[in-house]
Amino acid sequence: MVNKRKTTLVVALIAAAAVIILAWRPTVLIYGLQAAGLYASIAVPMGLILGIVHIVNLAHGEFLMVAAYATYLLCKSLGIDPYLALLPVTAVTAGLGFVVYKLTIRQTLKAPELNQLILTFGLGISMTQIANLLFTSQTRKLSFDYVSASIDIGELSFGVYNFVFLGAALLMVVGLRWYLTRTTAGKAAVAVGQNPRGAAIVGIDVDRTYGFVFAMATALVGMMGAMLITRSAVFPTVGSPYTMKSFCLVAMAGIGNIPGILGASILLGVSENLLKAFRGLRGWADIVFFVLIITVILGRSIRGKKA
Amino acid sequence: MKKALAILMVACLAVPAFAQSGGTIKLGGTWPLGDITGKQGSMAAQQAVDEINAAGGVLGRKLELIVIDDELKADKGAAAVEKLVTVDGVDALIGGMASGVALGQIPAMKKYGKIVIATGAASYKVEEALGPDANWYFHLHPWDYNQGASYAQGWDEIQKKYPAVKIRKIFLAYEEGAFGKSSFDATKVLFGADKRYSIDGASFKSAALGGGDYGAVLEAAKEFKPDLFLWAGYDADALPMLEQAKAMKFTPGIYLGAPPGWPVDFGASKLSDNVMLYGMWAPSINDVSKVSKAFYNGFVAKYKVEPATYFAPLSYSAVYIYADAVKRAGTTETAAVIKALEATKYASPLGETITFTPSNIIKHQGIKNQKILQWQNGRQEVIWPFEAATAKPVYPFPKWK
Amino acid sequence: MKIRGAYIAAAVAAAIMIAFPAFLGAYPLNVARSVMTYMALAVSWDMLLRSGQISFGIAGLFGLGSYASILAVLRGGMDPLLSIAFAALVAGLVAFALGFAILRLRAMYFSITTLALMEIFRIIMHNLHDFSGGPEGVVLPEVIFGGDASALYWLCLGGLAVTIGASWYFERSKLRLALTAIRNDETSARSNGIDIFKYLLVAFVVTSTLQGMMGAIQVQSYGFTTPDTAFDANFTLLPLAMALLGGIHSTIGPMAGAVLLGIASEWLKLKIPYGHLVVYGVIIIIVILFMPNGLFGLARKAIRKAGGAGSPGSASNGSDAEEGAR
Repeated sequence: MVNKRKTTLVVALIAAAAVIILAWRPTVLIYGLQAAGLYASIAVPMGLILGIVHIVNLAHGEFLMVAAYATYLLCKSLGIDPYLALLPVTAVTAGLGFVVYKLTIRQTLKAPELNQLILTFGLGISMTQIANLLFTSQTRKLSFDYVSASIDIGELSFGVYNFVFLGAALLMVVGLRWYLTRTTAGKAAVAVGQNPRGAAIVGIDVDRTYGFVFAMATALVGMMGAMLITRSAVFPTVGSPYTMKSFCLVAMAGIGNIPGILGASILLGVSENLLKAFRGLRGWADIVFFVLIITVILGRSIRGKKA
Repeated sequence: MKKALAILMVACLAVPAFAQSGGTIKLGGTWPLGDITGKQGSMAAQQAVDEINAAGGVLGRKLELIVIDDELKADKGAAAVEKLVTVDGVDALIGGMASGVALGQIPAMKKYGKIVIATGAASYKVEEALGPDANWYFHLHPWDYNQGASYAQGWDEIQKKYPAVKIRKIFLAYEEGAFGKSSFDATKVLFGADKRYSIDGASFKSAALGGGDYGAVLEAAKEFKPDLFLWAGYDADALPMLEQAKAMKFTPGIYLGAPPGWPVDFGASKLSDNVMLYGMWAPSINDVSKVSKAFYNGFVAKYKVEPATYFAPLSYSAVYIYADAVKRAGTTETAAVIKALEATKYASPLGETITFTPSNIIKHQGIKNQKILQWQNGRQEVIWPFEAATAKPVYPFPKWK
Repeated sequence: MKIRGAYIAAAVAAAIMIAFPAFLGAYPLNVARSVMTYMALAVSWDMLLRSGQISFGIAGLFGLGSYASILAVLRGGMDPLLSIAFAALVAGLVAFALGFAILRLRAMYFSITTLALMEIFRIIMHNLHDFSGGPEGVVLPEVIFGGDASALYWLCLGGLAVTIGASWYFERSKLRLALTAIRNDETSARSNGIDIFKYLLVAFVVTSTLQGMMGAIQVQSYGFTTPDTAFDANFTLLPLAMALLGGIHSTIGPMAGAVLLGIASEWLKLKIPYGHLVVYGVIIIIVILFMPNGLFGLARKAIRKAGGAGSPGSASNGSDAEEGAR
């Protein structure tokens, strides 16, 4: 309940702020929303894993990187568009996620959660370094005309392509919401996430649910990896910064609150770009992210105590 | 338990590797081997060692190169220097890329006073840390302020030779880390001193470090309406920034990038055409330099890949410069080799003859000039200095369609 | 009897460690310094973990200590050795002030907040160009002790000794009972009259002080720092991995883990110049998969198997590691 009220409050505040910003500097909102879409679409799969399997996956960004390389190789060798490669790549990363889950993560589920954290840390290092050996640190990028699609309004020209990430994030949030509340498998997954032992007692196969959710999350990450190469170059550490960013966003939204991730992303994306619009403050744009996270987490804890 | 650990530690560390061989002349190299610059730098140094050995070695002795990864970390780099000097007993040290690692290595280098031929470390902070007494330090790579001065001179000469090129307003988009910030500072100082230019700049977070949104910085640039737009970032920024510039219809007179390297197949993208760049070496220099051609062909034959960074020819040069000095000195004894190095005149694959002259603080600065190049039909062509030029500049940067 | 044996073993080990510079060259000493730095960070991180709080802010306090020390010397003309104490104090005070706000958080929310604080410290140092040197960092005119390898080694060993001493005190005093009680069941700990906040604050301030001190020692030994060097995420992740691989909730476990990973990384690098980090990652995976309680947990299990029931050892708290598996 508290979560829901908070979300609506945040949304209302954003709407008010948006009108003011739009009038003053439209690009703040445009670039802010575009950034938010990218943040959210990559963070949602991590939120899914954290909410149901209860694992902080430090190799999150590395799955993204693997998908990006897979897409790059496919597109380069067949000369196809990343959006055509999206389906096969998603299937491959889902398979990879499932195998990784079965071979490693599953073995550590009974151990303290820190073990899973360090396990995925080791997985992340290995994946990055293998990519570095295979492809070197030199970056790779395919260019596509549609990435530079733009709109002119008077003097103002801005790129519109990056809105696809906002679309992807929205689709993901809506799709997952439908899946987790309307389907039997989804409801079972939620039950496992809330209480694995209780779920097992009522006959839900917890291990299979974990494996499935993990594979589904890596499939979504794979999809984002394929989309990422349209806007970004590919290199071994391309995914790494997204791990921490996603983790922070998920924590800010609160574990299990998937729509909240989108809200948190929009708040952060727009505030960052707002700071960037002031010349002297540009270097401080990064700090917004972390100050907001601490404020939200502390605020929630104080309110939680009162309630 | 603890005793056992201690003994284990001693056993692991004190492996007697003191196989002191009088036979070979040993060079110790430290590079970040996980990065393309250090990887290819170390490969090219090995290529030079093999070539010299195939030609009979130096003073009848073979060269030997021992490479250790500095992992782009100061403490690892310092440990590598300690190992190379005290365990392997190298005669000289070569290599280096990041300034942050060099700063960590300098205390150890000072302690031993071995000859160092540095292929990296552009930051003036490194020169400050070295101080004026480090006569064993031979710095091949230009300092950040050398680069700035070189570009100022380059644009001056280009404007004289091609009157159509007019530069008054310069905008620098720089990545917010040490690399970009020092580029901006150097540009401000060197172009700012000349009242003809007006300079502005803004920072961005490089895609290499999780950034990749150039909207704010390009918007600031567009408002400034620069004749010369310059970005100092990494190869990951090259194409995405162009794509965004195109989306925003930002067309400065000159669009110029100064990353340490370029992405694979950058030239294959339509967007790359007429983008200018700062650099030290490009395969097109093969057309004007025989040494470059020999280096290039040797590298491709040996490793089956193209050298993708100037750290390759630079590290290759470092080995030749040292070998040549030892040959002239007739010994590997440090003081004599330093003297011989001071008289170095090496026609390098970088398209210029390397000599050592004083810079602001140290006595032995190698290269001081950079080159201004331009992507034309998928190739990096040298525009300036004119004696190494392989093509004429295309100006202005065409408007986006 | 048993306790006396442990003391003798510790004294012998300490004597050997102190005497290292007499028979080791500069390179092993340098590697040892790096291992000891990570060891101290791993042990200090474990000290707070004993209360159940997982900190991701090691690098933040380490970096804060680095900057406090180097700036005190450079801008305030402080004696380098004194600046190490000063940096420890700064880190402790900052932790004390922050503790009031963030120690109410639990589990992942505490971890994230410490991580975010680290990033905030880094961004501040990054942006205060005139004071902190900005992204290019600051360089000292001279390294402490003139860069003498033995002196630097002893300085680092001193920092480690203080850390281990504090950790042993934590294990032997009533702090241990309190922290273990908080970790196992906070509600019942509270109802037993344990002042949870007080103990958490003590643990947080002490461990932060230690981490700040190690940062100061590191910066004085290398004579420079930059935001990316001082706040390197590896200063958070590697100590965590080391503590886990060695065995958590003890002093000896994180120490063993630091020796394992520290030496493995250096040795692999010499054997496999290109690609050693792949093997490094694989080692971490394998140890976690096959030794879920770490090296020390494995050793304890072996001893217990060999010696029947085993005894509640002085330095180990046998059941802790398995508790997490509940």
